Amino acid sequence: MKKLVLVRRETPTRGGQPAAFVAGFILALGLGAILLLISGDPVWEVYTRMFERSLGSKDVMSATLNRATPLALAGLAVSIAATMGLWNIGAEGQILFGATAATFVGRIGEDWSGPVLIIAMLLGGAIGGALWAAGPGLVRAELGVSEIITTLMLNEVALRLIRYLQNGRWKDPEGLLFPVIEPRPVQSGLGTIWERAHLGVVIAFAVVAAFAWFAKHSVWGYELKIAGASPKTAAYAGISMRRKVLGVMVLSGAVAGLAGGIELTGTATRLDVNISSGFGFAGIIVAALALMRPSGVAVVALLFGAVQVGGISIQSIGVSSAVSGVLQALILFGAIGAGVLSSYRVQAVERKVVAT
Amino acid sequence: MILADITISEAAAIGLVIATIQFATLLYLAALGETIAERAGVLNLGVEGMMAVGAVTGYIAGAVSGSPWIGLLVGALGGALLASIHAFVAVGLGADQVVSGLALTILGLGLADYIGADYTGDSRRAWFADVDIPVLTDIPWVGETIFAATPVTYLAALLGVSTWFVLNRTAIGLGIRAAGESASTADAAGHSVARIRAGAVVVGGAFAGMSGAYLTNTLVGTSWSQGVTAGRGWIAVALVIFGAWRPGRVALGALLFGFTLALQLRLSGFGIDFSPILMSMAPFLMTIIVLIFISYRARNKPSPAPAAIGIPYRREER
Repeated sequence: MKKLVLVRRETPTRGGQPAAFVAGFILALGLGAILLLISGDPVWEVYTRMFERSLGSKDVMSATLNRATPLALAGLAVSIAATMGLWNIGAEGQILFGATAATFVGRIGEDWSGPVLIIAMLLGGAIGGALWAAGPGLVRAELGVSEIITTLMLNEVALRLIRYLQNGRWKDPEGLLFPVIEPRPVQSGLGTIWERAHLGVVIAFAVVAAFAWFAKHSVWGYELKIAGASPKTAAYAGISMRRKVLGVMVLSGAVAGLAGGIELTGTATRLDVNISSGFGFAGIIVAALALMRPSGVAVVALLFGAVQVGGISIQSIGVSSAVSGVLQALILFGAIGAGVLSSYRVQAVERKVVAT
Repeated sequence: MILADITISEAAAIGLVIATIQFATLLYLAALGETIAERAGVLNLGVEGMMAVGAVTGYIAGAVSGSPWIGLLVGALGGALLASIHAFVAVGLGADQVVSGLALTILGLGLADYIGADYTGDSRRAWFADVDIPVLTDIPWVGETIFAATPVTYLAALLGVSTWFVLNRTAIGLGIRAAGESASTADAAGHSVARIRAGAVVVGGAFAGMSGAYLTNTLVGTSWSQGVTAGRGWIAVALVIFGAWRPGRVALGALLFGFTLALQLRLSGFGIDFSPILMSMAPFLMTIIVLIFISYRARNKPSPAPAAIGIPYRREER
């Protein structure tokens, strides 16, 4: 009798990850098609519409760029933490608190001129995100408290903080039916640069590029690499692990918080709990698919942006936009499967028969 | 916060206790499942997604069949089926548990919304009726609260005791705990780590699915709706840590967290001047505090966390 086992290849397949990603994407489309067929939705129409409404014209491409912006920043935030072997599961909360902090700045600087206010609000967002991640970073550095759980818990806290402000302190007196937060000052809107794409797109991709450069060419990046790969070597080289852990978490939070500030000034008119549509969680998938590399994060974020924008568009033909979430998760699972297969091969071996 | 001059009517107090038990049941089922998975060494951050799938499949099955029990069973199956993806990817393929679990939440929430799209606002309901135990239910106070719960509460308690028994008093439980503390040791002792871990994840998914079905078939005032789980899966994840990975302590934690959820809805009714939304942060903040305390104490005393949690195990080829 034969059985199938996984055998590790002598050398990993070249170009494994891009290939695994493409394989995952194809698999996701295939499984998604089966799901659509079962519930009687028109597969071809859904997929063509998703494509046309996310990449089919300049107008929708600019919407995709806007959507990719918070995904890229959240993905970058996750990959920054990963350089030290840390998991920042709290990008969602940092985006939310970043947007909350940016709103706070907007309330103070109501009378400031547009550019000054925008810069102040974006900085406020980054500082807010950094603060939200600093706590988990500190207790991780000092006591070894799992940052996975603390950052995760703080997501839920940030969400409820916005609800609290919405029903209390920051409630818009002119809101009619449901309590809403007062709109941000009108002059704080990020200008558009190309079709619907706003300035935040450029900021986000500049931040991604800057981190990629610093990680590769600066002493700081080199130290991070050593500390992430081998804490013992780092300690021997006189690199303080505690400070690195805290620093990396704060930077990671700042990047996610910046995304919150950009969402507030770029696409939203006021703060609410939907200012992040799960960007922090999607960012983890983006970073994982990109194997935590900044350049890869940008590419995967663009594709996920397209899937999300396309997903929203199919609502108008009566198909639930939830399809987009399903596809994103399936891409990841497919890519993991393909990634494992690219470093392993399936081999049929003789099953050992135990003598009785 | 003004705590003076609180006048609580007896009916309101009984209502609070009943709601506490209901929320505790919901949280306990999901947290117990996650406890099993984590004790076997697998972190599954897909609880929210498994709960959502259990909620929608459990709701549909209950509504169509008219039986809440069928709803509970189908919800459990739905949760287990979704969990089997995590078992395959994180245990079978050895992928990162954090990434796989979070993707499972995204997948589960997406699937639930997609499947449930046609059932939003559906008027059919399969209700679990309160159990009426002769004599016991007639006891004032205690009878009206503890002995008037739905059968699911008793089922959850039974599963809690069974889980404790299996984990601590059986060979399978020893295998599960060994897989969670040191996978290579468990392997050397002749346990199949992969099978134990995969099994624990799937059972954990069934529990989370049941929790979701209980939510839609008993707890909420409406039928299935998008976002019905409302972050309660994350509370369950927190609860496992709060309860130090022990079924008994998790049960106590479930009652405490359930109380905070129940109290949120009634703060103003009791004349307590404190925001229910701030109150809803309590489970998460309490969990962070407990986690910090555990880590602080871990410098002298071993941590209650399973040592091998989150670490994929793949047997070296020979």
